[in-house]
Amino acid sequence: MTSTPPPASSNPPSPPSPESPPRTPEERRAGFEQEALVHLDTLYRVALRLTANASDAEDLVQETMLRAYRSWDRYTPGTNAKGWLLTILRHLFINEYRRRSRHPETVDVDTIEPFALFQEVQEEDPQGAFFDKIVDDEVLRAVDQLPEAFREAVTLSDVEGMSYEEVAKVLDVPVGTVKSRLYRGRRLLQTKLYDYAVSMGYIKGQSKK
Amino acid sequence: MRCRECVEHLYEYLDREVTPELETEIRAHIQKCPPCSEHFDFETLFLKFVRVRCRAQGAPATLRRRILEQLLEE
Repeated sequence: MTSTPPPASSNPPSPPSPESPPRTPEERRAGFEQEALVHLDTLYRVALRLTANASDAEDLVQETMLRAYRSWDRYTPGTNAKGWLLTILRHLFINEYRRRSRHPETVDVDTIEPFALFQEVQEEDPQGAFFDKIVDDEVLRAVDQLPEAFREAVTLSDVEGMSYEEVAKVLDVPVGTVKSRLYRGRRLLQTKLYDYAVSMGYIKGQSKK
Repeated sequence: MRCRECVEHLYEYLDREVTPELETEIRAHIQKCPPCSEHFDFETLFLKFVRVRCRAQGAPATLRRRILEQLLEE
């Protein structure tokens, strides 16, 4: 018995593409601007939380955009550009920035007992009116004090509004890990904000240091 | 559903990551349980507070310009 001849084309069928890839550099650039550059603010905010330094954050974002642009042909239009860009940014940060970053010291999770803020303030300020008194910079400072793993999860989910699934993909961890990092990250953040609000006299409470 | 179970799913519920069945159960519990309702409202406020305050900042205009110039050179 003879072997079956190979099919006429041994190439796997190419996935249906809604439109042919852009041909001119202008079309390529326009596509990139429409789908990638719109996420610039997100990339910059995430870069700032990772590097804790505006000039490093700018360099990191610029390098990310350059790399993304160079591999733009590998991106499928209409898929998750934000996640794709953030993955590039994060790898770049880990490989080239993390070592020399002078990120301020983060809280030591083993020495801090995070608690549920609501239980602490439900008698005094259950509507959370004290939140309004805390300035933006203090909130960012509190986020920056979170250990990196929690800071990333909180930033991608709570600040940038990504789903558990999307966050898991960017961080390359299971969804369950995202959930537990978010839980602990939020608790830690609440603990920091509570301490700050108490130290400023926004609420009476009793500092949990 | 008991309060304990309800609060256990608090963040997943607020993050819209629960099944429709669980969502219905939780919503029904919150509606008839003032303490849980207050707790959920507080956490909703907290998450909104973090989002709004941390999103106040965007990329500087100079960065956008630098990137656009860089793309033209590629």
